[in-house]
Amino acid sequence: MRQFLSLLWLSLFSFSIFASAADYHEQLNLRPLPLSSLLASFNFRSNTTLDDFDKGNFRFFPRSLAQILQHAGTRELHLRFSLGRWDAETWGARPWDGAREGGTGVELWAWLEADTDEEADHKWLTLTNALSGLFCASLNFIDGTRTTRPVMSFQPEGDHSTVTNMHLLYGVLPHEVVCTENLTPFLKLLPCKGKAGIATLLDGHKLFDASWQSMAIDIRPICPPGGECVLQIEQTIDMVLDIDRSKRPRDNPIPRPPPGDQLPCDTSKPYNSHDTCFPADHTNQEWTLSQIFGKTVKGTCPLADSTIPPVCIQVPDSRSVFVSKDVHEKKNPDGLSRCFDIAPSTELEMMLPRLDEGASTTTDIVTPETPLLYAERSFTGHGQERGGVQTILRNPSPDTAVEFIYMESLPWFMRIYLHTMEARVAGHSHANKSLIQQVYYRPALDRARATQLEVRMRVPPASTVFLTYDFEKSILRYTEYPPDANRGFDVAAAVITILDPQPETIGSHGGGAAKSARRFAAYTLRTTSLLCSLPTPDFSMPYNVIIFTSTAIALTFGGMFNILVRRFVAADEGPEAGLAVVLGRLKGRLRGMLKR
Amino acid sequence: MDAKVTPGRTAGLYAGAAVLRLAIFTLLPALPDLLTGRVEISTPVTSFKRLQEGLFLYNHNVSPYDGGVYHQAPLLLPLFSLLPSFTSLPIFTYLLYIAVDLLSAGALWRIADSGEAGSSALFTSPRREKRWSGFVVAAAFLLNPFTVATCIGRSTSVFTTCAILHAIAKAVSGAPFGAMVALSFASYLSMYPLLLLPPLVLLAYDRQRPERATKSALQFAAVSASTVAGVVGVLFQMSYLLTGSWEFLPSTYGVQLTLSDLTPNVGLWWYFFIEMFDSFRSFFLAVFWLHLSSYVGGLTVRIRRQPLVVLTLLLGIFAIFKPYPSISDMALFLALVPLHRHVFPLMRYTFVSAAVIMYATCLGPAFYHLWIYAGSGNANFFYAVTLVWNLGLSLLVCDLMFAVLRDEWEVERPEMAGKEIRQI
Repeated sequence: MRQFLSLLWLSLFSFSIFASAADYHEQLNLRPLPLSSLLASFNFRSNTTLDDFDKGNFRFFPRSLAQILQHAGTRELHLRFSLGRWDAETWGARPWDGAREGGTGVELWAWLEADTDEEADHKWLTLTNALSGLFCASLNFIDGTRTTRPVMSFQPEGDHSTVTNMHLLYGVLPHEVVCTENLTPFLKLLPCKGKAGIATLLDGHKLFDASWQSMAIDIRPICPPGGECVLQIEQTIDMVLDIDRSKRPRDNPIPRPPPGDQLPCDTSKPYNSHDTCFPADHTNQEWTLSQIFGKTVKGTCPLADSTIPPVCIQVPDSRSVFVSKDVHEKKNPDGLSRCFDIAPSTELEMMLPRLDEGASTTTDIVTPETPLLYAERSFTGHGQERGGVQTILRNPSPDTAVEFIYMESLPWFMRIYLHTMEARVAGHSHANKSLIQQVYYRPALDRARATQLEVRMRVPPASTVFLTYDFEKSILRYTEYPPDANRGFDVAAAVITILDPQPETIGSHGGGAAKSARRFAAYTLRTTSLLCSLPTPDFSMPYNVIIFTSTAIALTFGGMFNILVRRFVAADEGPEAGLAVVLGRLKGRLRGMLKR
Repeated sequence: MDAKVTPGRTAGLYAGAAVLRLAIFTLLPALPDLLTGRVEISTPVTSFKRLQEGLFLYNHNVSPYDGGVYHQAPLLLPLFSLLPSFTSLPIFTYLLYIAVDLLSAGALWRIADSGEAGSSALFTSPRREKRWSGFVVAAAFLLNPFTVATCIGRSTSVFTTCAILHAIAKAVSGAPFGAMVALSFASYLSMYPLLLLPPLVLLAYDRQRPERATKSALQFAAVSASTVAGVVGVLFQMSYLLTGSWEFLPSTYGVQLTLSDLTPNVGLWWYFFIEMFDSFRSFFLAVFWLHLSSYVGGLTVRIRRQPLVVLTLLLGIFAIFKPYPSISDMALFLALVPLHRHVFPLMRYTFVSAAVIMYATCLGPAFYHLWIYAGSGNANFFYAVTLVWNLGLSLLVCDLMFAVLRDEWEVERPEMAGKEIRQI
């Protein structure tokens, strides 16, 4: 009995150690944004020790994903599914400093352990095909023409001091439409599978109706100082919901203008009479969680770390937030956010009431942070023969220059002319050579490899820089066009990695690597993707073209060899030939028949 | 028109042509870039913009052949990097292109003055008195709008043109070695001039200087062919040393063989291979190349007595059936046609072919605009014009061939001059 007790004690003890090493936590962060938008950031994070991972003891770590990682020799993985555009002018800086988002479509980058480039390519193929099945996305279309090996833009986030032969591969599918079938496998990776806790709010109808959303999976090994190395999986979903749009009832989703007496009017404008109204587009209105997400938070996930409050909202303390009973509110000392502790089996409903008419509109939300850089990319020129790409980079800071790496991964049928690339400061007509500090360029190979362009740039304080280059659109074989050829081809977003202005001393390997790597990028942003229209042939007439061209060739060939091989005679010499002879013979026969 | 050309007139012609080009370059600064962008002038293997990109990559230690843009010969890179930078001092590039055009005209002048077209070693035309002097032939070349447009568009095919004309001029003047070296340069730059080797060897053999003549034709051909092989080998070796790898071979000549870049041009290949079914692509590539080279043997054998005619006709055929033809090939063909002034009266369809070519010249850019920019036409518009263009050109080539053969025949049958004939 005593032995049994001690055994129990021991096992309990070991369990507690195990639990501390393999923890799971989840949190939902709500942040009202200007113009009646709401940013909802879901974050789910769990750890497993590398030792358990290698032995196949998965507790919170999803087994399906772990086996893929082990099979493909993947050391660190980042997967993004994104949709929409982050409106930096209105919404300010991106959540997580842009580290947990991707460009439109699907983005994947991973560090693979391989001895040669060929082996890395092979493992990459295995990885993309397996992930394609797991996430119901066309990741298997990330082939050689969509894969690049970035040199400057990415640094591993995890600790890889023991591994030396890592290869970074980066693939992007800008055309991929992210949808519900990608969300379902994403939720299945969670320990509570979306049945309890904050994940119950995630619903495809609302998530993919958002103005902007990004789902991210990040897997990285982390070695805390003095502790055992763990493999961390972090799943993040960020979305910006339009409150007006989300509050639309589901049984009547078609937007209709409200009746005149319910129309919110902009009171700041002068009116001539009482029956006129300037409609105020984005009024400050009340909302509840169930209106926005269609449901309430169903308790907490029992596996989650209970010390971390599951739901937080960033509003000034001066605003009141109503929550259902049994929910405990904790205000943060900074006065700008508060969190809520929920009992395991209670439902959380939250209501943000409408502000009083008199209250100033500046205090109702936390003012968004200004991002370090604004970037917009667009095509210039017209026609389907050639064009240009122009990226407008604006540094809002009045006194600090921004140094960053601009990365483009362009399809091979955009033949870029690097000698035309130049950067100029707005207001100057001439290119400024000092803006571009370093260029890494790997040209595209037709049908084999994508263009990879990485530019290290510096934008002076309070200035706007135009980065431009020309390209030529190539014409493809008719089988290489998609069925909707005249829609155009998607061009992946450019990735802009803003370097940390004060990087720590860079230790190439060892304990300092993780720290310096984590501080590598101060902020990341992505431009929107572009739609490039290529010249198209006529798809309906391959046979006609083959026949016409062959006829032209036959005419020339026949005409020429006809002249070459035949002898000249005078018109009245040589044997009779031609139509006249045949006609004469026919006539003779007819005459003979008639005479008979 | 006689040979009494004063040095003043010569200098006047050259100066006039140079000033015309320089004036266009300097007074219309937007025109060169516009013409460089035209698909009728710049093909993937001759485009000046691609050359600049290759040069930029070469100067920044990126292999220009490890990419899909630059498909031109490696030795052009050091040549252009020796010139002052195009962006800061474009005048030197302009002067180079003008000088190349004048050199081509000089070679053409020598060919015309040799009288080879009218009376070769084995054949003397009864009409040989009727010919144009070198001045006229050179003027027709230098003032031809196709030549001017090619020069303004800075297509690198002018170097090939110059090398081919020099090869012919050297062969005519009894310098077989120089001819073979010039042909090797042309072949190195564009590959297709290698097909001109058989008629050029015959031309050089016929025009050897008596004091240094090789009697055996086979021996002469072997020496000539090995000269070409040797010079091309040396050029390849230099290219290898320059770029550090052999990857320039698939990128320059492989592209011409496999037509991997399907940018539209005035030829017949691009649309055919856009629309070709994948499983038949390699078969038809082989057929097209075989077809292109099939003319060499036939013409060389049939018109053995006039190798210059064979060269002229072959250049006309290449302007039609090359993988990446442009109007510069047309300009080269039209440069050689006036040498055969004596057979012009025997040509039957000059009006038709000239009208068709002019019609296609005007309609081509318009239909291309409709397809690419206006969006109101599709690819078939431009394709139809290229078909017409090539048919017109082939009519001209056939007509010239007929006239030359009839001229030969009338030596045997002098009484038939001016009478109706037919072929059996």
